[in-house]
Amino acid sequence: MKIKISSILKTIAFLAALCVCVFATTIVLRSKDSDFKYGDFFDKADQIDVLFIGSSHVINAINPAVLYGEYGITSYNMGGHGSIMQATYWELKEALQYCNPKCVVVDTFMLQKNYKYLDEMDESYSDEERASSISQLHLNMDCWPLNELKVEAINDLIKDDEVKKQFLADFYVYHNRWEELDKNDYKALWGTQDRNELFGAEMRYGMELTPGIYPNPDDENGLGGDTIGEEYLRKVIEECQSRGIDVIVTFLTCSATTDDKRAIDSAEIICNDYGVEFVNMQDLGVVDLYTDLNDTGHMNALGSIKATKYIGEILAESGDLTDHRGDDAYADWQRKTDAFHNDIYEMAVHSDSIYQQLNYLSEGKVSSIIYINDGSQAFGDNQFQRLIHNYTVTPKIYHTDGPYILINDVASGNIYEASGSETLDGVSTSLGTVHYQPVEHLFRLFYTDEDPENNLLYDDSRFEYDIQIITYDSESGEILSHNYYKSYGSNYTKG
Amino acid sequence: MQFVSFGFLIMLPIVALINFFIPRKYRYIWLLVVSALFYLSLDMKAAAVMAGTVVVTYFAALLMEKVSGGADEKRTKTAAVILALAIVIEVAAMLVFRSGKILGAIGISFYMLKSIGYLVDVYRGDDIAEHNPLMLALFVSFFPQVLSGPIERSGNMMPQFAYPVTVDFDRFRDGFLQCLWGYFLKLVIADRLAIFVNSVYQAPESAQGTIVAIATVLYSFEIYCDFAGYSAIAIGVARILGIDVMKNFDSPYMAKSIAEFWRRWHISLSGWLKDYIYIPLGGNRKGTVRKYINVLIVFAISGIWHGSALTFLVWGLLHAVYQILGFVTQPLRDKVVETLKIDRNGLSHRTMKTIFTFLLVNLAWVFFRASSLEQALLIIKKSFEFTPWVLSDETLFKFGLSHGSFNIGIAGIVLLIIMDVLNFNGVEMRERIIKQSIWYRWIIMIGAILAILIFGIWGAGYNASSFIYQQF
Repeated sequence: MKIKISSILKTIAFLAALCVCVFATTIVLRSKDSDFKYGDFFDKADQIDVLFIGSSHVINAINPAVLYGEYGITSYNMGGHGSIMQATYWELKEALQYCNPKCVVVDTFMLQKNYKYLDEMDESYSDEERASSISQLHLNMDCWPLNELKVEAINDLIKDDEVKKQFLADFYVYHNRWEELDKNDYKALWGTQDRNELFGAEMRYGMELTPGIYPNPDDENGLGGDTIGEEYLRKVIEECQSRGIDVIVTFLTCSATTDDKRAIDSAEIICNDYGVEFVNMQDLGVVDLYTDLNDTGHMNALGSIKATKYIGEILAESGDLTDHRGDDAYADWQRKTDAFHNDIYEMAVHSDSIYQQLNYLSEGKVSSIIYINDGSQAFGDNQFQRLIHNYTVTPKIYHTDGPYILINDVASGNIYEASGSETLDGVSTSLGTVHYQPVEHLFRLFYTDEDPENNLLYDDSRFEYDIQIITYDSESGEILSHNYYKSYGSNYTKG
Repeated sequence: MQFVSFGFLIMLPIVALINFFIPRKYRYIWLLVVSALFYLSLDMKAAAVMAGTVVVTYFAALLMEKVSGGADEKRTKTAAVILALAIVIEVAAMLVFRSGKILGAIGISFYMLKSIGYLVDVYRGDDIAEHNPLMLALFVSFFPQVLSGPIERSGNMMPQFAYPVTVDFDRFRDGFLQCLWGYFLKLVIADRLAIFVNSVYQAPESAQGTIVAIATVLYSFEIYCDFAGYSAIAIGVARILGIDVMKNFDSPYMAKSIAEFWRRWHISLSGWLKDYIYIPLGGNRKGTVRKYINVLIVFAISGIWHGSALTFLVWGLLHAVYQILGFVTQPLRDKVVETLKIDRNGLSHRTMKTIFTFLLVNLAWVFFRASSLEQALLIIKKSFEFTPWVLSDETLFKFGLSHGSFNIGIAGIVLLIIMDVLNFNGVEMRERIIKQSIWYRWIIMIGAILAILIFGIWGAGYNASSFIYQQF
């Protein structure tokens, strides 16, 4: 039994080298989704005053960049795709290890889900849905280091021991990602991988054109009080109250089904029990179902801006939260807020979808001229009319067959409309003093006193396009984009 | 606990470390404890069957010696009766329990053959009866071999259990490298190919002909990598513990005849069948016809040992027929070679023989893998449908393996062939690697570990299939 010291040293060195290589491999191979979402959370944990928790509704509906921009309140969007209430509860517990927020805002979408384990669900779910449920939990869980709390969370959320392994050691599931590796995966070795720039939020830019409207439940008794979702909502509230953290419970606007409405009633009952504020955004009319949803379940960026501003107002009114704007220590919050507003600006100026462009123009970041020729099929498109109506309170768009023009001059705050044979004469805008006069079906005059030779709304090569949208800088009057669209019913092609 | 499990990878270094520090004469007790725990972790009920086997084997051997008047005395008829009785009990137990429906029976076919071999050796006087029941229990249950062999002889194992060699750094490294190769064969190649093969064999009627032919060839590599992988791990683990276990595979697909294939494939089983069945039946000493009958009997038993289905019997008999045809046509083949002035030792001739042998083995594997004779015949028929466009129209990647994964499987097979060619020509790669400078050694070993971790089929999303040979 002879052991050479050199052999021991060589073995130790080999194991050390092996560990380094395996560790590097696990970093490269692991899915970056969770790290992407929560990267900033760990860096800014000591600056966070508000946590938003819940499902993907929260991810899409609450934008901490908007909240910071409007009120200077620092927050993080901890919402998880497919997060039912027990997953949300454990997400909160994990987050509270790192930060000490003054307020937690918990959304109650999917409160009616009444199954305990995410890998088991119930008999109404297919194997694909179970697999999806497991993979969605990875987004919530992968970022948290393995410790006693994480083990407790996984034991509570997952039934199958085999499935638990992939959460306790994620290399168990990610080792075969080698076929998907891209540049970002290797950047993780140096800690420079991409990060969510919206403090956990994700913006969607589509528009749900046909949101469903569902009947209200027969009574207001909610779900009965003893579903798993309700149990964990109570736990969330109790956890926060035990730590002296304010709680606000929400139901963020979506195309709510009758079941969702029962969940709303239940959430309200629970909030009353605990003396907690409940914000049922469904009934408030803050978010327009017809323009502000990306799909039936999630808000688009415009809806998110509206919802966030509304919640921000409530938070600001509480008086407990500090406005950090102007504080150098929070410069990164401002930088990311500005970056988001630039995105919205770009969307308003350069979007390829007419619905999207009209929607984001209504945010009022950029001035615009919208012209619709007479006979355009857009006048029969309710959604289109609704988007135009967002700019102005007049019902003119609903009562004309065109031509129709709308000038939204952001710098002066004025909106000008004309339809049929009406003209606009000497209207003062950032572009200059504008004159508009319809002449015949395919020809109209639109020029400024400063440049009377330039007819902005007529182009020989594009006379067949019935809709034009011109955007211009609100300060300098410089034209930013000039988009032409042709309407086919409610379908539009960009020229 | 399987070889491919986190538990085993944690357990092994701990067992090896404790084994290292235990005085040599007591190590067999430690190995027995570990073997018992390992087997109990697999199946408590199966442990009862194994315990019964140990008891029967232990007392039968002692009784044979006792009724014969001692270890060195000529065995009496009573000893023969005891041997026959013990063999009948053990074979019956194997046939009854191996389905696993009554009691668990993991590895039963392997440890039963070990036990029967031991009893025959004691009866013949080739070995003496083991008086230490713990030692015999270890021989039957030694954990690296218990699931899928190699089917060792008591003459090789008992002395090593009694006086294990010192585990030095070189032995440890050698065993470690052998384990790595085994894991690579199993996880990177066998389990990957299994995805494709299973997908095709699940519904061969709906797959194109060339796909079926490819699946059949890939199955030949799957079963080889699966079983040789297991054997390499078993041999490597035993070596780390100070026990040398016999080689079980020796570049079998390099064989130039079916007879040679069986000298290279599952060597421990082939040797067992030869020593305990073929030779006692008379071998080739009792004339040509009897020799052919003996070959048929041995391969029929081999087929039945592998499984109860008729397909296994056909597989075994097919190999017997190959060999008999080989004997019968030998003069004719010699004449052809002589007439055409073919250089028997030329590379092209040897290669052609290797390829022809591989195709015969491959054909037989169809029966081994198929779920029924009808399916086997369908697969053979489909394999001759010529649809080569599947190689270029993406059809190849619709059977569970992506482009990348399929390419890794092919690269693994190429590496396997290179290693087998080297081994066939007497180049022992492990020795070569160990002789390299520390940097090369480390790069190779770390590279191999990472390759297994990254490209291995394990973990969530795919349950590493059990070693194919564990069902036998």
